[in-house]
Amino acid sequence: MTPRTFTKWLPAIVIPAVIAVGALAVPLTAGAAVDLPDKTPEQVLALVGTSTVDALSGTIEQTSELGLPELPTTGPGASANTGAASALELLTGSHTGRVYLNGPDNIRLQVLDNLAERDLVRNGSDVWLYNSKDNSAAHVTLPAKDAAGEDSARKGGMATPEQLAAKFLSAVGPSTTVSVGTDGSVAGRSVYDLVLTPKTTGTLVGTVSISVDSQTGLPLAVEVTARGQEKPAFRLAFTELSLGAPDASLFTFSPPAGASVTEQALPDAAALGQKNAADHATMKADAEKFFAGVTISGTGWDAVVELPAGSVPAELSSSPLLGELTTAVSGGRVISTALVSVLLTDDGRVFAGSVPSERLQAAAVGG
Amino acid sequence: MSPSDPREPVVTGTGPTGHAPREPDQTGPAATAVSRPRGASAAALLGSELTVLFRRRRTWAMLAALAAIPVLIAIAVRLTSSPVTPGRGPAFLDRITQNGLFVAITALIVSIPLFLPLTVGVVAGDTVAGEANLGTLRYLLVAPAGRVRLLLVKYAGAAAFCVAATLTVAVSGALIGAALFPVGPVTLLSGDTIGVGESVLRSLLIAAYVTVSLLGLSAIGLFISTLTEVPVGAMAATIVLSVTAQVLDALPQLDWLHPWLFSHYWLDFADLLRQPIDWTSFGANALLQGGYILVFGALAYGRFVTKDILS
Repeated sequence: MTPRTFTKWLPAIVIPAVIAVGALAVPLTAGAAVDLPDKTPEQVLALVGTSTVDALSGTIEQTSELGLPELPTTGPGASANTGAASALELLTGSHTGRVYLNGPDNIRLQVLDNLAERDLVRNGSDVWLYNSKDNSAAHVTLPAKDAAGEDSARKGGMATPEQLAAKFLSAVGPSTTVSVGTDGSVAGRSVYDLVLTPKTTGTLVGTVSISVDSQTGLPLAVEVTARGQEKPAFRLAFTELSLGAPDASLFTFSPPAGASVTEQALPDAAALGQKNAADHATMKADAEKFFAGVTISGTGWDAVVELPAGSVPAELSSSPLLGELTTAVSGGRVISTALVSVLLTDDGRVFAGSVPSERLQAAAVGG
Repeated sequence: MSPSDPREPVVTGTGPTGHAPREPDQTGPAATAVSRPRGASAAALLGSELTVLFRRRRTWAMLAALAAIPVLIAIAVRLTSSPVTPGRGPAFLDRITQNGLFVAITALIVSIPLFLPLTVGVVAGDTVAGEANLGTLRYLLVAPAGRVRLLLVKYAGAAAFCVAATLTVAVSGALIGAALFPVGPVTLLSGDTIGVGESVLRSLLIAAYVTVSLLGLSAIGLFISTLTEVPVGAMAATIVLSVTAQVLDALPQLDWLHPWLFSHYWLDFADLLRQPIDWTSFGANALLQGGYILVFGALAYGRFVTKDILS
């Protein structure tokens, strides 16, 4: 090759090289070292406690590598979107969602699916759920007084980082070492990294890391890493965040023409009171019976929950999906993921915990 | 091809049947470029390229086939008595009976994986190899520094076809939809409703997205076209690559590769149907296609300027 020929080919060599360098360098600069004033875990927790952000819009990304088989989600209309498959679909793979928040009464959550979207809109006491895949909407009217309490239970699909963080923070106790890790940045904001490490070695959870915005105290990311693994098994993080009230029109929702709308009543106090007493009593007895059967052995991270026989609905236990997810072990079938194991014994009992499946089997034999 | 290639230069006056022969004055702009300002001559070359491209019967046949896709979908949906079950068939199929404007979007979803890449592959694969095959390439290269300019003009022609192909599907879909079904406010994926005016705007945005999506493939086709003198080979290779990229994109084991595949964001234009519009995929797609244009443009440049043009 003559030198002249070589110069002609030079762009074909240089441009891919520049692109490769750029592709490597951009994530590096995004994760560049951030140095914030040092804080103790208590101070970071206090920062979270004092967080007053109640208006924001942002994009959230969830990635799960729990070791469950991934359901097909590529291609238009590929993923099944009903019942158990829908719940499992949210647990496996990755999702992107958008959150809009303006005070506690105006919430909009969007799960951005492939060529589809699932929406939750709350405007005061009106809550709308919309699924574009089958063009269906559900309307729930919240009772005025405990509206705030119902809301967190209704969010369903995708929990916000705040909720997950609050759940873990409340569990911080004698079982856990809390430390502050290296400062980083999430969604372009500098964060403190609150690291929770279980003291016991009996659990599958390695560390839980919560990224706390250094300015507002808002939790921006939650990562759960399984013991002995480098990549997080579960990660929920903002990829974009802007503080400030979103457009008010986002919180007004009326079902589109042609959508199938269902009204869903909440079993609130008034509705329950209207039911006849006998019905009420049976429900109460059922509930008591159910909770009487639930036993929790151990405390903290390596606790094992036992559900009595018959607590799994027959249609779920006979579902072929379950057969694909579980592996047969002596005494039952087991679902083991990176973070949680569930054992369904042959006599119908269910054992679950963030422990290796062998411990569940031991608990099933011992109990 | 090496300089010692024994192949005889083929110079023919007229192309095979089915190709519109270049009119005598169309080799003129390139031939007289020496005495003209460079910009004017490039514009003339581009004009001549576009005229040749859009006068071809083959181009019209491909555009007609693309226009037929939404027509077929609309007629099929109109003639079936049973309502389309939501979630069955291509996305948005069940919305067509309520709103004819969805015909265009459904047709685009149907044509993106195969029909659009197919036609773009034919045009992009033909760019340089077609001229070489017809023996007209060296007449186009009489002007000094003509090769870079010719490459740019050829790519612009292929890009113009991307625009035409996408708009053909979108416009024909909107027209047949409006003719056969009621037209009214459009329901977005988020459940919000927008008026007809804004929905036309969003359809144009989607057309722009799909056009941008095809630019990377056009650059690949242009590069392959400089490698050979057999246009059919270049066309087939380009189309095969587009199918291969989509197959690779469907394999979860190759997760790390997916963001680098030019077909990765092809179906993500649905983000333009959310409220508010999610521009993330538009930006990511444009960046990716830009990268492909740069890389394969550079490769095409390297190949084309060092190539021995004998025909």
